[in-house]
Amino acid sequence: MPPLAMHRRSRQHPGPLWRLLSSAGFRFALLFATLFLLAGLAFTGVLWWGTAGALDRQIDAAIRADAVALAERWRDAGDAAVSDAIGERLALDAEDQTVYLLTAPDGQRLAGNLEQLPDGFRPDVQWYGIALERDGISGEARLFVLRLSDGSSLAVGRDIGEKVRLRALLTEGLAWSAGVAIFFAFAGAWLLRRALEARLAPAAATAALIAGGDLSPRVPLSGHEDEFDRLGQSMNTMLDRIAHLMEGVRGVSDAIAHDLRTPIARARSRLEEALDAADDPAALKGALERGIADLDNVTRVFQAVLRIAEVEAGARRAAFAPLDLVPLLVDAADLYGATAEEKGQALHTAWPATLPLTGDRDLLLQAVANLLDNAVKFTPPGGAISLEASWQEDAVLVRVSDEGPGLSQEDRSRVGERFFRADMARATPGSGLGLSLVRAVVQLHGGTLWFEDGQPDEGGDRPGLAVCLRLPAA
Amino acid sequence: MVPCTFLLLPFFAISATAMDGGPELRTLPQGVAYCQELAGRLAPLPGAAREPARSLAAEGSALCRDGHVRTGVAKLRRALRAAQGR
Repeated sequence: MPPLAMHRRSRQHPGPLWRLLSSAGFRFALLFATLFLLAGLAFTGVLWWGTAGALDRQIDAAIRADAVALAERWRDAGDAAVSDAIGERLALDAEDQTVYLLTAPDGQRLAGNLEQLPDGFRPDVQWYGIALERDGISGEARLFVLRLSDGSSLAVGRDIGEKVRLRALLTEGLAWSAGVAIFFAFAGAWLLRRALEARLAPAAATAALIAGGDLSPRVPLSGHEDEFDRLGQSMNTMLDRIAHLMEGVRGVSDAIAHDLRTPIARARSRLEEALDAADDPAALKGALERGIADLDNVTRVFQAVLRIAEVEAGARRAAFAPLDLVPLLVDAADLYGATAEEKGQALHTAWPATLPLTGDRDLLLQAVANLLDNAVKFTPPGGAISLEASWQEDAVLVRVSDEGPGLSQEDRSRVGERFFRADMARATPGSGLGLSLVRAVVQLHGGTLWFEDGQPDEGGDRPGLAVCLRLPAA
Repeated sequence: MVPCTFLLLPFFAISATAMDGGPELRTLPQGVAYCQELAGRLAPLPGAAREPARSLAAEGSALCRDGHVRTGVAKLRRALRAAQGR
């Protein structure tokens, strides 16, 4: 089977080894095991330097000191004195560890217990590691060869059997340690992988159920408040949000079907009327115009829904620019002041000379206009409306209050949902999208929206409502 | 299993340490003559007559005579060290 096919097959039908090697937990554990082994290697290096290395250096120092002492003696007293000294040293070497050789310039052996110099002897090389046979017993030795001024050679050496045994002992110990460490690294990696898999299994199972179409399951939390619980909490928050959005979409669909049914049915009946009045051109024209107006209302609702979606998607953020809110408020007050006046209402305004802000002018104007539109709509004739704005720390506070029927606490939490209309507002014309757009615009600008009780009317039976916007300056 | 392979590492390591030191050199064979040379070095020393040098020397010479030269040489060397007070 070609390697690529095998790879694909192993991914489709993972065996235990493949699952182990492809696991993130295993890779993490392997990384730590590698670091641990590197630390172990560094420790081994230090240990080696301090034991086998120290013994090496000690042996070399002893050999060199002995050779230098003999060379000095040779310079002082010649071959015979060095021969005597070598004989003396050998006579006292009860452990039979030393090796000496003094040769004449012509290579003739003068003293010592070594048969000859090493085969590859070169005058410019002083240190040799040699295999040494001593009375039929093989071993290893370290040899230092000095070329004397008349061409003679002086070789001094020591058996290094002890050092070799220590080195073997150390190597064996370290190799066993490395083997066991690697074994535990793999075992630890396997355990870690299992632990991670066990902790992630509930999240994976929940995700699988949700992928199957059921949005109700949530990731069970262990209560340890660790990273996995935080991940589970994030997933649950995300799922709550998705469920809320799905519910909203479903609500919007229902609301669109419900709210548009009336104007569409009305338009249909106008058209039917037009059919009946086909003989009267004036009645026909009037019926068609009313039908068109009804269909325009439908179109406006769709435009409003699309605009809210656009604002919520944040697509308009690129059009943000520094602006002064005051001219915008003036425009809105001019527009709705006239309407309020027509209804016998009074619009009171108050704001400072300038209110600098960064945002989208059109959207902000639309938001303020929607608030004023609601205020005019719900305030009875003779009532008062106020539009106020002020600078508060690093934000602009806009407040629109009326003397309308107000909003219950329960309704205040639902205002902003598309097509939501409070019970008391059912008799008033509107689509239930005005405050949805306001909320979306405020969120786009990073601000907050809340409701307060407004200014009660003189009779006290209308609590009034104040809608407050807090828009950060930058 | 992969971990079992790692357990074999020590054996590889041990075999790797048994290295060869290249062509072999030899020391001169120790004979009875060398035993006599050592005994000759010992005799004039003041401590040669004292224990344990005296008995070590006697044992060494006897071993050499019996053909156990290597052991005899070792004994005689120990006798020399003892006689020199080392």
